Order: sequence, then structure tokens, then C-alpha cells
Amino acid sequence: MNASERPRLGRGVRLRREGDGSAMLLVPEGALMLNGTAAATLELLDGHRTVGDIAGALAERFDVDVERAQRETGELLQRLAERRFVELP
Amino acid sequence: MTAPRALSLLCELTYRCNLACPYCYNPLDLRRFRDELTTAEWSRVLAEAAAMGVVQVHFSGGEPLLRTDLYELIAAAHGAELYANLITQGTFLDDAAADRLLAAGLDHVQISIQAPDEGLADWIAGARVHARKLDALRRIAGRNVALTLNCVLHHDNHDSVDAVIALAERLGVGRLELANVQFYGWAFRNRSALVPTREQIRRTGAAVDAARGRLRGRMEIVYVASDYFSDFPKPCMNGWGSTFLTVAPNGDVLPCPAASAISGMRFDNVREGSLATIWAESEAFQRYRGTGWMPEPCRSCARREIDWGGCRCQAFLVAGDAGLTDPACSLSPHHARLQALHE
Repeated sequence: MNASERPRLGRGVRLRREGDGSAMLLVPEGALMLNGTAAATLELLDGHRTVGDIAGALAERFDVDVERAQRETGELLQRLAERRFVELP
Repeated sequence: MTAPRALSLLCELTYRCNLACPYCYNPLDLRRFRDELTTAEWSRVLAEAAAMGVVQVHFSGGEPLLRTDLYELIAAAHGAELYANLITQGTFLDDAAADRLLAAGLDHVQISIQAPDEGLADWIAGARVHARKLDALRRIAGRNVALTLNCVLHHDNHDSVDAVIALAERLGVGRLELANVQFYGWAFRNRSALVPTREQIRRTGAAVDAARGRLRGRMEIVYVASDYFSDFPKPCMNGWGSTFLTVAPNGDVLPCPAASAISGMRFDNVREGSLATIWAESEAFQRYRGTGWMPEPCRSCARREIDWGGCRCQAFLVAGDAGLTDPACSLSPHHARLQALHE
């Protein structure tokens, strides 16, 4: 997914935080357990922030270089968009 | 063994329905379920489910919109932070119902059709309802809620699968579920008329593959295979008592929606105990949980934690004992009984 896109969660998709800090993505007729990076990424989707903004924030938070964060964020969001868990306004 | 965490609850609010689809998986003996739970009892079930860690609730039936308290129950689920899913045949989904469902906090709705064209669809449903279902689909597609179009595939509509996909595209639905008929309840009784041919299964598989490639990112297509044509069984319920539980209209708590057909198995009822206790401790849930109950060929099989022995209800219906390997498995000594239906 392009760095200038402004993704948001798809229709009928909800991010749920558990008491122990773990997270899952509730989707139509299913639930996906999320790892820490995926949960942190999805928490930043609001339809306004760009993929570039999100990757920048994650790079800072997880102390990785921005290029790698850009690539991995774009790939994750692309995979989720193919299943319509993430959409572009 | 310690009970795992239940994540998903199916509330079968009623088995009443105004259609007569021959592939229905509801039980034959509907009288057993006539004394339906009250609104207060269902609300308690939802609160207990949320407290034990369930995250998603599916309201189904029968036709759940025949329960006039459906909106209240969806609001109760929403209030308890449960993801609320409605599985309906759509014939009662008018504008007022759609407004109330969305206001109650519904997250997703699945609407079924019987076939893409009116003549065949109404013939399968046993009622003139297809046009009303299309109205309901258009109504929901235009609103801010996730929508799945569902079509159960069997001998008489498998050849229409391309037209079902085209209809889903025209309606603009984001998710299409094409589900081969599963042989329980009425569908098991009608299986000789419903079972597709091997050629139909092959052609539909190819049509789904092609459509998925063409529609990637626009429509998700969920294809539920027919275990009558596979070498290995489906991992039914992802393992008995591992993730899913069902509450029947009368409050019986079932490890699988078809389990009430297993004669001799006793199911605890929410009128007599809490959902959490029934899930963790009842005899029915413990009987086939995990792998300790397994006979051969499951016990020594490398796939025992992939398939979980397949489906207990199918083992009962076809092999006569819920504690046997699912006859859908090619390694089952009873596999030939299942194959005899379509070979």
C-alpha cells in the first residue's frame, strides 16, 4: 500500500484490546489474534493519517529504521486490504 | 482437562421460520425446542458470555427476526462489547427493521438467497420470497453496516454459481459466502436429493478460484467445501468445546448446532446453570474435548490436532456412534457409507 494512502478499518471490523494487553481483530464471522506490531499499526488507522505517518510513528515507537517500517506497514495493510479488513476512503 | 476460552456464541433464538428449504440443518424434532427462552433469559446468557471471554455473538435460527425482542438482544450484546452478527433469510428486513437493527449496534448481517433467479429460488424456499430478499439486500448494501450474501449450494443450484457471483457484484456486497450444503437435520434427511455431483464440485471450485482472482480487494469470497468430496474431514467447530458454543431456542447448550441429534447425549440448560459452568464442566462439552477421547485411526494420526477427528454429529448420523472417526475421512472404516451417496 502506497505511503500517501489514508486507510481505515473496513466495515464491520473492530479492534479489541484484552485486559492483558493482547489484541484481536473482530471481523465478520471471525476473530484474528494480532501480534504487538499489527495491533499498534491498526490502532493508528483513522482514515486521516497516511501510511507514511503511521510507519513514522511505528519506527519511533519500536526503534526501527523508517524504510523498514514503511515497507512492513505497507505490506501488512495491503494483505488486510485484500480481505477487506482495511479499506481506503 | 482445563477448558479453553470460548470466543464465539451462536444464539439460535427460535427454530420458527416461514420458509421450507430442504437443506436446513435445524433439527427434525422441533417440538423439543418450542419453549423458547425469554428476553430476560437471553439477556442473562449474553452477559454471562461476555464475562467468560466470548467476543462474538451470532443471532440465528430459524428466522431470528420472528423474535420481536431481537433489537433488544442486539443492544444487550453491543452494550456488553460483543460483536453482534445477524444471520437472516431477509424476508422481514424492511426499512423499519433495518433502522432498528443499526440503531441497536449491529456489526454485520448475513442474508441468504436460495438461487440467483426468482423461479428456482422460490421453488427451493417453498415460498414466493426471492424479490423481498433482493429488496433486503439492496436496503442493507446502502447502509453503514457490513453485509455478507450467503447461498447454500446443492444439486439444484450448483450450476448457477456464476450467476450468484454476478448478482453479488451487482448488489455491491463486500463478502460472499458460497457454502456447500452440510448434511445435518433436514438436509441429512433430504441428502439423496441434495448431494451435488463430483463434476459440479469441480466446476464450482474452478469458478470460485477465477472469481477470487478477478475480485481481489473488492469482494471476499468464502467457499465452504463439501466434506463428502474430501479425503480428510472438516475440523468441525475447530474441535469440540474448543472455541464455539451454541444455545438452542429452549436454552440447551450445545457444542455444535447439530448436536441435539446425538441421541443419548444429555445437554445442560441455561435455565438450570450458568453458561460458564456448562462450558467448563458439563458432560456433553467434556466428552469429546481435546484428543483423549479419540479412537483409531484418529488416535495415532498426524492430523489429530488439525482435523480434531472431524464432526461428532456426522459420525453419529452416518456411523451410528458420535465417538468414532468422522466417516468423511478416507481413513474411516465407515467412509464407504458416506461415499455410497454420490458414487
